[in-house]
Amino acid sequence: MLEVYVLIKQVPKSHSLRIDKSSGALIRENIENIINPDDLYALELALTLKESYDAHTVVMTMGPPQAESALREALAMGIDDAVLISDPQFAYSDTLQTTLVIKEAFEYLKRYDLLITGSETSDSSTGQVPYQLSEALDIPLITDIFEYKIEGRNFYCQRNFGHESQNIQVELPIMLRVRRHFNKPRHVPLLGIKKAFEKKIKIIDFNTLNCPDYLDGCNKSPTIVVKTEKFIPKRKNQFIEGTIKEQAEFIKNVMKENGIERQWTGI
Amino acid sequence: MNFQLTEKQKLIRRRIRTFSEDFLAPVAPIIDRELKFSWETARELKKINAWGIQLPQKYGGAELDSISYAICIEEIARVCASTALNVTVHNSVGAFPIYKWGTEKQKEKYLYDLASGNKIAAFTWTEPNAGSDAGGIESLAIEEDDKFILNGSKIFVTNGGVASIILVGAKYQKSDGNHGIGTFIVEKEMDGLEIGDTEDKLGMRGSSTTSLYFHDIEIPKTNILGRLDDGFKIAMKTLNVGRIGIAAQAVGIAQAAYEYSVKYAKGRIQFNKPISQFEGISFKLADMATDIDAARLLVYKAANFKDLNRPFAKESAMCKYYASKIAREITQKAIQIHGGYGYMKDLPLERFYRDSKVTEIYEGTSEIMKLIIAQQILRGDL
Ligand SMILES: Cc1cc2nc3c(=O)[nH]c(=O)nc-3n(C[C@H](O)[C@H](O)[C@H](O)COP(=O)(O)OP(=O)(O)OC[C@H]3O[C@@H](n4cnc5c(N)ncnc54)[C@H](O)[C@@H]3O)c2cc1C
Repeated sequence: MLEVYVLIKQVPKSHSLRIDKSSGALIRENIENIINPDDLYALELALTLKESYDAHTVVMTMGPPQAESALREALAMGIDDAVLISDPQFAYSDTLQTTLVIKEAFEYLKRYDLLITGSETSDSSTGQVPYQLSEALDIPLITDIFEYKIEGRNFYCQRNFGHESQNIQVELPIMLRVRRHFNKPRHVPLLGIKKAFEKKIKIIDFNTLNCPDYLDGCNKSPTIVVKTEKFIPKRKNQFIEGTIKEQAEFIKNVMKENGIERQWTGI
Repeated sequence: MNFQLTEKQKLIRRRIRTFSEDFLAPVAPIIDRELKFSWETARELKKINAWGIQLPQKYGGAELDSISYAICIEEIARVCASTALNVTVHNSVGAFPIYKWGTEKQKEKYLYDLASGNKIAAFTWTEPNAGSDAGGIESLAIEEDDKFILNGSKIFVTNGGVASIILVGAKYQKSDGNHGIGTFIVEKEMDGLEIGDTEDKLGMRGSSTTSLYFHDIEIPKTNILGRLDDGFKIAMKTLNVGRIGIAAQAVGIAQAAYEYSVKYAKGRIQFNKPISQFEGISFKLADMATDIDAARLLVYKAANFKDLNRPFAKESAMCKYYASKIAREITQKAIQIHGGYGYMKDLPLERFYRDSKVTEIYEGTSEIMKLIIAQQILRGDL
């Protein structure tokens, strides 16, 4: 049986995002939390896999205790089991610390064939964990797939590569980072929700793992948030008049003035 | 006392909201305009167990608590009140009584199809000469050997044109008042059932409302629901449950109108400021928010009493009376806040207004709700 892990993160719902002025960090108390939207596509892929292959699906997240509700939601969608990696020691981990803890978790769990992630999180948008984790676990990472099949230990897929597509054959275990809108995440049945709350969630904490002492999120994360600023790109509307040629000339000048002019060299 | 929803209830609210916004929002204006029950929507609702929200898992239901039920209906109604009506009638006055008073055989026979939504249910009591006076029905089911022969007619049947399983109130002997009344399970396939035209109506136009005519329908005795002479009691107890759903529906409509209003009032500029900065508007919003909260809490209270197996006739009448009243008022205020735009069909405000009205009428008018509340408090249930 294939052991399929989906790695998700709980994030604040975008409309309730607020930033603490003094620390520059996101306020995570008393706000509505959801599954990171990109991760829904990863969950959907796992559920689709289960329909065609003999697979056991597990959803995993590293986060505070309240991240449990994101796991319940994934269970409600139809994922079989859930793992919560949580410990005060892991608080404030940056992407590197997160990766290293998750790596330890997989060393501890031992069996895994397919790790699926979304593209990036809506609350920090680095998209780094999938790449780092594939390095840490030393397994291949394939991004942007659109067709796939599994035969024995072989995974065959097609992936987007700019304007081309690549055919890939690779041996499990692997990691997949799926693109947004790669599929259509299913709606959650009410019965699924009911059953999700009857399941037991496996908790992995600092002591469960044989953590080397550099895995201490608060103190060992190399990332420092210096400042968080609201950034609003400034736009200006301007109507251009004249013949097509004059208009083109005008635009060229604007580009030149702003240092974005490029000479068209042809192919 | 705890005013927090459980994590499960919160998840239900969020997921039913997402579902409604994805699937119901695009069809709501269409079915309203075209006076059409949407089978496609009915199929989507099957996928999320909306036709068996509280039925036991054994039959394929989601076996949820009554507050979760109210949340589901509210969230559906917030986007499409007609769909909420179809769903709540099916669940609360169609499937529920069969689960509550049905024999094992009846449950086995009907509940799987009802929980899955393969079959839709209706509950029909109202007749041309019997509305609020529910004991005044004239449909007649005369006993003959091992069956009853049903004749008569019903009006204003929700799900009338789409239901396969229909609960019918009928007299089995000529008598005055609430006696001699039975509740019968009529199946669509039975000979002698005629379905009238779809009623053209002010609101809830995505719900199929029809008359039903019974011409010598042979109903086997195995299709009596509960004890034969308990028909009236079953109907009244069923409506106590149904009203929680209707009240939740009213809250959903009000909530939608309120959300539109807040957004609009913040964005609409007149006299160089958002109209939300005029007290005439902001106080309306404050009233709306307060009324909705109060109505929702009354709904949850009735739902909770039901789950605790406490009497809840009064609570259910109160929540329906209050929620339907504020829904009508709030949808009207919402149009006022939107000015002329609110009156146009481009925005859904006029639909909310039209949809809200009937919550004060069906499953007992507001006058009848007050009658019930008064009876209960005067009886000593202060
Ligand atoms: C869209 C829609 C769907 C419906 N679906 C269903 C359904 O699925 N099944 C079903 O059985 N019925 C259904 N009904 C019928 C509904 O329940 C009745 O319309 C309602 O109970 C009122 O009955 P009536 O219309 O005969 O009005 P009446 O009873 O004639 O009432 C007329 C007016 O008199 C008032 N009144 C009556 N008696 C009293 C009193 N004692 N004290 C004070 N005031 C009183 C009423 O409140 C009302 O204002 C539906 C109705 C509508 C509009």
